[in-house]
Amino acid sequence: MISLTTVRTEAVSEERAHGVFEIARGDFGGKLMVTRSTGRAIREALEETLAALPKGGTLYVDTRGVELMDYSFADEALGILASRAASGEYGDRHLVLVEEDRDLLENVEASLRQRSLAMIRVDEIGGEPSIVGEVPDHLVATLQAIYDAGSITNAALAAKLNLNHTACNNRATRLAKLGLIHRRIETAAPGGRQYTYERVV
Amino acid sequence: MGSLDPAFAGAGRVDGGPVVLDLRAVEFVEPAGLCGLAALLEYLILRSEEVGIALAGRDVPAYLERMNFFRLFGDRVRTNADVTSLEERRRHNPGTLQELINFHTEEEIPGIIERISEILENQGYRLRERVAICSVLSEICANAAEHGASSFGAYAAVQAYHHIVSGPRRRGEEVLIAIADGGPGVRETLSCNPALVEYTTTDNDALRHALEMGVSGTGEIGRGGGLALVAGIAARSGGSLSLRSGTGRVTVYESRKNSRNVPEFPGTFVRVSLPRIPHEKTPQ
Repeated sequence: MISLTTVRTEAVSEERAHGVFEIARGDFGGKLMVTRSTGRAIREALEETLAALPKGGTLYVDTRGVELMDYSFADEALGILASRAASGEYGDRHLVLVEEDRDLLENVEASLRQRSLAMIRVDEIGGEPSIVGEVPDHLVATLQAIYDAGSITNAALAAKLNLNHTACNNRATRLAKLGLIHRRIETAAPGGRQYTYERVV
Repeated sequence: MGSLDPAFAGAGRVDGGPVVLDLRAVEFVEPAGLCGLAALLEYLILRSEEVGIALAGRDVPAYLERMNFFRLFGDRVRTNADVTSLEERRRHNPGTLQELINFHTEEEIPGIIERISEILENQGYRLRERVAICSVLSEICANAAEHGASSFGAYAAVQAYHHIVSGPRRRGEEVLIAIADGGPGVRETLSCNPALVEYTTTDNDALRHALEMGVSGTGEIGRGGGLALVAGIAARSGGSLSLRSGTGRVTVYESRKNSRNVPEFPGTFVRVSLPRIPHEKTPQ
């Protein structure tokens, strides 16, 4: 269980909320995060926080107070968390890593690449998003276009990328499953469905 | 640890009678030799009614005392060294980053890392150096705790030197990290994964493959990354990682990887050399 000072949840819009989990603070936190058993304890606390968020919410995992994160910890805490998020275990909730571009990212990157996964990273909450981990080459342009647009329909995205609607939807669906974008389904006349893709942050 | 090789070669012939490890010709001990000696003694103590070590001079016994060797083995191993006079000497040495430590479980590792990190910080090691040393130590300790289960667990030690001790001595500083466990060894651990059958024909095959990213005995995704990353840290710093298990030994440098057949080591042994990063010159 993480103390309340570690986690705060606040609505950023009518339908999207976010929480912040500072790894260096709380019951299992510290500057030196090592071993799988410590990683497991942190992951369980992260999962608890993530589950408490409303659907569509985003959990910022803030590692900026951490000096050392070894591979075992990074894989157990963040690699497995990202893997479970990508398999839909946490529903429509997203993870964002808050960390500067420094050596500490190397083990997170290695773990996510091992798992063929990626996470959105920002230097600070509200900062410009980037990717840590592995995004297949053919999805990078799609991801970039969605982030450039902020919010875009499948039809508009397909036109922008010069793809047919099905190919475009397949690419965006894959990005949504990786947790890198938010996907909304809207009813479109007559009786059809329209997908809108949005950046997570 | 090479000077212990004849003892490793002969250890398998010990049949219960008393045995004396003659180390009188040894003039220099570093963490690798210390951990190797600890693992060898544990092996012999289980197979011999009485184990002794013969030491010469004062430097080696004094180093062993400073590194807590006699605290861990004094009651179980007979020695010709006058340990009482050594105990009276000043124990503190700034190069001692971690005395010989015995541990069994992963839960002990964060405490070990906290302590050495504090020592490094007090001695002026920069964050990047502290992270490299602590990352290496935590990963190899975690491997030993997970895969090296044995009656004695594992031994680790860390020492800083004001000269390079790996290879011909030369100017510079170096931190040596070593660990030895008495577990089943790398080949047997990797053999649990049927997908690795072609990589476990010899100990050296298994060791070389264990240093690849993502190779593990369980085959679970995400596993088997620690050792490869540790080898990367050592190589990037201009140092090396040496992995020894069974009759194999593989050493990884920045641009090459050497394999050698060696006398049987009863478990797994890792030695990491991290030359210190030179301080950047301050502009005048």
